[in-house]
Amino acid sequence: MAKEFNVPPVMFPSGGNPSNIPQQRYRPTAPFQPNPNLPFISFDVPSTSFSAPVFGGNNGIGGMGFEDEPPLLEELGINTPQIWRKTKSILNPFRVNPNLHEDADLSGPFLFIVAFGLFQLLAGKFHFGIILGWVIVAAMFLYVVFNMLAGRNGNLDLYRCVSILGYCMLPMVILSAMSLFLPQGGMLIFGLAGIYVIWSTRVCTRLLVELASCGDEHRGLIAYACFLIYMLFSLLVIF
Amino acid sequence: MKFFEALVVRRRCLRGSSLKLREEMKFFKVQRGGVRRGFICTAMYDNMGGQAGAPKPPFNPQPNPFGNAFSGAGSGLIRGGLGAYGERILGSSSEYVQSNISRYFSDPQYYFQVNDQYVRNKLKVVLFPFLHRGHWTRITEPVGGRLSYKPPVYDINAPDLYIPLMAFGTYVFLTGFSLGLLGKFSPEALTVLFTKGVIVWFIQGLVLKLVLYLLGGAEAPLLDLAAYAGYAFTGMCVAVLGRIVWSYSYYFLLPWTGLCMGMFLVKTMKRVLFAEVRGNDSSRHHYLLLLMALLQFPFFFYLGRAGV
Repeated sequence: MAKEFNVPPVMFPSGGNPSNIPQQRYRPTAPFQPNPNLPFISFDVPSTSFSAPVFGGNNGIGGMGFEDEPPLLEELGINTPQIWRKTKSILNPFRVNPNLHEDADLSGPFLFIVAFGLFQLLAGKFHFGIILGWVIVAAMFLYVVFNMLAGRNGNLDLYRCVSILGYCMLPMVILSAMSLFLPQGGMLIFGLAGIYVIWSTRVCTRLLVELASCGDEHRGLIAYACFLIYMLFSLLVIF
Repeated sequence: MKFFEALVVRRRCLRGSSLKLREEMKFFKVQRGGVRRGFICTAMYDNMGGQAGAPKPPFNPQPNPFGNAFSGAGSGLIRGGLGAYGERILGSSSEYVQSNISRYFSDPQYYFQVNDQYVRNKLKVVLFPFLHRGHWTRITEPVGGRLSYKPPVYDINAPDLYIPLMAFGTYVFLTGFSLGLLGKFSPEALTVLFTKGVIVWFIQGLVLKLVLYLLGGAEAPLLDLAAYAGYAFTGMCVAVLGRIVWSYSYYFLLPWTGLCMGMFLVKTMKRVLFAEVRGNDSSRHHYLLLLMALLQFPFFFYLGRAGV
């Protein structure tokens, strides 16, 4: 049984376009005319020589002069006073201020890594790539170990981990600088290396435990991981 | 009339102290409703929930029996049938994959639930297994209706990954230090040491897996095997440290630590992992255990040679 459908006829206007839509014509706008009221940069061009561009007053687009602009380092996010404060806090292994390291940055660590590489270069060892690679691997290792030990409450991120590890490289940098004036392979450099490694380990452990919560009961275990990392870096200096 | 029945038979295996759910058999019995004696079963439309108000086909034979299957309610049949079939298959396969992942790759954080006291006691057990007076069986606890093992912090016999990782790092450092004393140190040498150590760790894990397989197909999480294989580096650290302090002590310490590691593995594997093995061929068990213990010596010798 076939059903029949009453389909209303569809009417198309002639030419394929509906006739009732008004034709809108495109009117080109006039070319751009500068507004004389706006304070643009004005160039006074004398007949003999050019003068420097004179910026407008403080009420317009060019309102800020070169004097009012922030320093380049600050604009790039490199806070030199803060880096200096963090460095000073690490120089005292017995009284570290963890609050300074709340705001992690990579500028200070990069500076220390470059300094470490330069001192190694002065000792005749080209270790830039090795140092950088080891720092990254060490940071990842410490990040995994710490967060696994802390369990579900582990809140240490990789960025902060690299920052802390890099700042605590400062004793290693001092050791590499001192090794330039010490006999290679002597007992004195071994003893100094041990002291500086313990210094780095103590500071790094303290910062990790204080900044990332839930690490207090694992202080010794985290300390051993840090100790291993800085001992490996000390091998580059000693031998 | 049900079209798709999934029959999953689970058998509980109780061996020693471990209770495991083993999925023995999974199969799908698919009863295909279709053209029977020239007409389409009316039960299909009742089950598949065809389109509302769609007329059921008459019972008289049709010249093209598949004609109606693709029109009207037939499209509902295809959509519903294939949808249910696919959903059942995908659901079961995802369950199967999940169960296998949880069986072989257990939660890594379990292996890091350690503290200072556990680490000290565990090192004593690994380095002096003959002094361990307690039992070697892992402690179980009921969790969510089934038995699971207690974490390392509560059980000295539970495997952990903290000690193997740190022992591996210590081995790399100590071997690098001994190379430095011999005047052969370079960062590239440390990289080679690291690679050799990882290879030995991997091979040791494979050996343990192979031994388990040969002993009746017992299953253990891969991280358990990685932990047991990694304990070998603690003995290596002692041997290399002995070589740094007094070079001749190395030739006494290396066999000694190898023997201790072999004994530790035998004791552990015998009571913990072999609890799941089906079969009672004890002589075969003992031979394989002995082979596993003896294999520690070439591993230790290779790791020791890596730093010279």
